[in-house]
Amino acid sequence: MASRDALLPNAAIVARHEYADRVRSRPFVASTIILMVLAVGVALAPIALRYLERADPVRIAVVASDGELVAQAVGIVESVLNPTAVGDATVETARGYLVGAMPDRDTAERALDRDDIGGIIVIERLSDRQLAITFRTNDPGNGVRNQLVGFAAEAIGIIDWSRSLPPESQLGAFVTPQYAIEGTTVVSDGGGPVTPQQAASRSLLGVVFVFLLSMTVAIYGMWVATGVAVEKSSRVMELMVSAASPRQMLIGKVVGIGAAGLTQYLAIAVPALIVLAFQDRLAEAILGAAWAEGVTIVGLTPALLAGYGVFFLLGFTLFALLYAAIGAFVSRPDDLQTMSLPLSLVALVGYLPALLVLGGREAPWIIVASYLPPFSPFVMLARVMVGGVGPAGFAVAVAILMCSVVLVAIATIRVYTAGVLLYGQRPSLRAFIAAARQAP
Amino acid sequence: MDHRSSPRAGASADTIPAMSLEIDRVTKRYGTTLALDRLEFAVPKGEIFGFLGANGAGKTTTMRICLGIINADAGEIRWEGTPAGDLPRRTWGYLPEERGLYPRLTVLDQLVYFASLYGERPEDARREARHWLARFRISDLADRRAEELSKGNQQKVQFVAAILHDPEVLLMDEPFTGLDPVNVGLLREAFVELRDTGRTIVFSTHQMELAESLCESVAIIDRGRLVAGGSVRSLKRAAGRRMVRLTLDDEAGAYWLGTLAGVTVIRSDARHTELELTEGLDPGTLLAQVVARGIQVTHFELADPTLEAIFIDRVGRAPDDAEATLAP
Repeated sequence: MASRDALLPNAAIVARHEYADRVRSRPFVASTIILMVLAVGVALAPIALRYLERADPVRIAVVASDGELVAQAVGIVESVLNPTAVGDATVETARGYLVGAMPDRDTAERALDRDDIGGIIVIERLSDRQLAITFRTNDPGNGVRNQLVGFAAEAIGIIDWSRSLPPESQLGAFVTPQYAIEGTTVVSDGGGPVTPQQAASRSLLGVVFVFLLSMTVAIYGMWVATGVAVEKSSRVMELMVSAASPRQMLIGKVVGIGAAGLTQYLAIAVPALIVLAFQDRLAEAILGAAWAEGVTIVGLTPALLAGYGVFFLLGFTLFALLYAAIGAFVSRPDDLQTMSLPLSLVALVGYLPALLVLGGREAPWIIVASYLPPFSPFVMLARVMVGGVGPAGFAVAVAILMCSVVLVAIATIRVYTAGVLLYGQRPSLRAFIAAARQAP
Repeated sequence: MDHRSSPRAGASADTIPAMSLEIDRVTKRYGTTLALDRLEFAVPKGEIFGFLGANGAGKTTTMRICLGIINADAGEIRWEGTPAGDLPRRTWGYLPEERGLYPRLTVLDQLVYFASLYGERPEDARREARHWLARFRISDLADRRAEELSKGNQQKVQFVAAILHDPEVLLMDEPFTGLDPVNVGLLREAFVELRDTGRTIVFSTHQMELAESLCESVAIIDRGRLVAGGSVRSLKRAAGRRMVRLTLDDEAGAYWLGTLAGVTVIRSDARHTELELTEGLDPGTLLAQVVARGIQVTHFELADPTLEAIFIDRVGRAPDDAEATLAP
C-alpha cells in the first residue's frame, strides 16, 4: 500500500506535529535558553579573560644594588614580557605585566608574601663581576613566563656587558627585535596559505564543530529513537499506521525532530556566532586597541560554515535514521539506552580520528575514514577545517554520504514498518529480520 | 458453512445485497504459523457486519491486510471491485484493538492531527471533532490532554479519530471492550447512525449478544478459516436446532429440566433458561411436562439458536476462551 502513498503532504504533517510537540515543551525552552546563555558566555570568554588580565596586570619587582642596572633591567623585562605587535609600532602595547624597581629585597619579599607582586627579579653582582639573576615567584609552574624572564635575564647580561665596552663602541638603546612565526606545513585555504593564527583558530573551531556534530547526533538522534519508541509503547502507532505510510511517518519524524534540533541549535549558535563576528569590535570597545589584539577567532569563512552545514544535515539524517530503526526495535523506551550504545560508539569512533586530524595527523586509514560513512561526517569535516582536502575530495565524500543516507533510509523504512507493530517482548533478531523482509 | 462452496458468505438466502468488501482466499503465514488459510467472505455494503472469532483466530490480521499494514501471502481484498492496495487510505476508518493516543496532546489537537493525515482541512476537522465529542458527551474534554482521560473516554476519542474523515468502511477491532453499559449504548447508536448514512461497518467482538443485536450479517472464523458466514437469520435457520426459552416461577431453579428426555440445558441465568430440544420432542409436550409439575411458567418462547450457540457449535468452544495469539 506504501506504493500508492506520495510522501507529501503527510510527511510534512507528521514533521509539523513532531516539531511543534518538541519546541512547545518546557524542557526544550528551558534547555535552549540555558545553552544559549552558555554559548554566548563561551564566545565572550576570551574578551572577559583579557579584561580581567588587563584590569589586574601582574606586577614584577626588580631588585639590584646597581641603580643604573635596575633601570635598564626594568626596561628589558618590561619589553620582553609585554611584546609589541609585529609590524605596527603605532599600536599601544597590551601590558599584562607591570615591571618596577623596589628599593630593597626585604620590601620586595614582604610584597611577594602578601601577593602584591607576582615575582621578584633579584640581580646580584658576584665577585668576578658576573651577574647572578634569580626569579623568585609564587607561580613557578608558569613556564611561558619563566621562559620569557629567562630571555630577559640573557638580555640584561648582554646590556651589562655592553656597558663595559669603550665609550666609542656604545650602542643605542636596547630594543626587543620583532618576531613572527611562519608555518611551512599543510595548512592552506583553497591553495592559498593561512597565517598561524588562522590555522590555530580553525583547528580550535574544528574541535568545536566536530564536538557539536557528535553531540547533535547523540542528543537529537536519541530524540528520534525515543519518539518512535514512545509511539510504539503507547500503541498510538496502531492509529498512525492506518492513517499514514511508514515512509511518510519515518521521514516526517526525522525531518520534524531534526528541525526542532536545528531550531535549538540555531537558537544557541546564532547569538554566539554574532558575538564571534563582532568579537574584534567588542574587544576593541571593551579592552581598547592594545588589549584586543589576538583575542578574536580568525579563519571562519562562509565556505567553512557551509561545509559544516552540509555535514551536519547529512550526518544527522544518517544517524537519525539509524536511531529510528533502534526505536522501532525496542519494546519499551527504557531499553533504548542499552540498544543505542553501539551506535553511540560508532559516533565516538568517528570523533576520535577527527581529533587526530585536528592535531595534525593524517594517516592513510584516516583518509579512508574521511570518505567512509558513518565516520565521514566527523573525519572529513575535520580535514576540511584544517584545509587538508580540496573541493573534489569534499564533493566525493558528500556524494558517498548522500548515497548512504538513501540506502539507510530504504532499509530503515522496512525495519520501522516491521518493528513498530511488534509489541510485547522484544523479538529475536531473526524474527525481526523476517518481519522486515515481509514488510509492505 | 463451507467457505469454498459459498464464496458470497455475506449473502442471505432471500436477498442478495451488493457485496462491496470481498475477502478473497486470503492466506497469511507468520513463520510456521498459518494465521489465515484461504479466508473468504464478503461484506454487504451499508451493513453492520460482525467479524467473530476467538483470540488468535485471525481477525486483526485480516483487518491489517485490508489497511495495507501487512501484506497477504496470497489472495486479495477488494472494496467495490478495487483491490485494497489501490484505494486511498481515507476509504478506511480503523479502530485498533491496541488502544493508544498521544499522552501529552490535547484531545482536539490529536483528532485534528489524525484527520489531517487523511486529507481533512484542520478547520473542518475541528468542527467535526467538536460535533462527535458532543455526541459522545465529552465536549468538556476537548482541551484536556489524553493522559488525563479515563480509559473509556480515551476509547471514545479513538473511535472519533477513526470516523472523523468520513470513511466508507469502518474496521473496528473489539470496539466495545472496556466500555461501561452507557458508553456501549452510545457506541451502538453511533454504529446505527453511520450505517444509516451508508457506511459499512465491520467489527470484531467477543460479545455475541451485542453482535446478534447489531449485525445483519456475520463471519465466524477459527484458526484463520471461515467456519460460518452469512446473514444472522440464515445462519440460525441453517443451524437446524430447536430452542425453547422459558422462565419459571420456581425458587428451586430450572436445573431439573435437563433430566427430561430429549432436553438439553444450553444456558440458565436469572432471566430465563435456554433449552435445546431433540428432533421428535414437541415443544408443547415439554410445556405440558413443566405445568404438570405444578410450576408456574411466566415466559415460554420458541427461539432460534443464539449466535453464541452457533459459534460454540461451529468452533467448539466459547468465543472468549483464551487462546494463544498467533498474529503480532
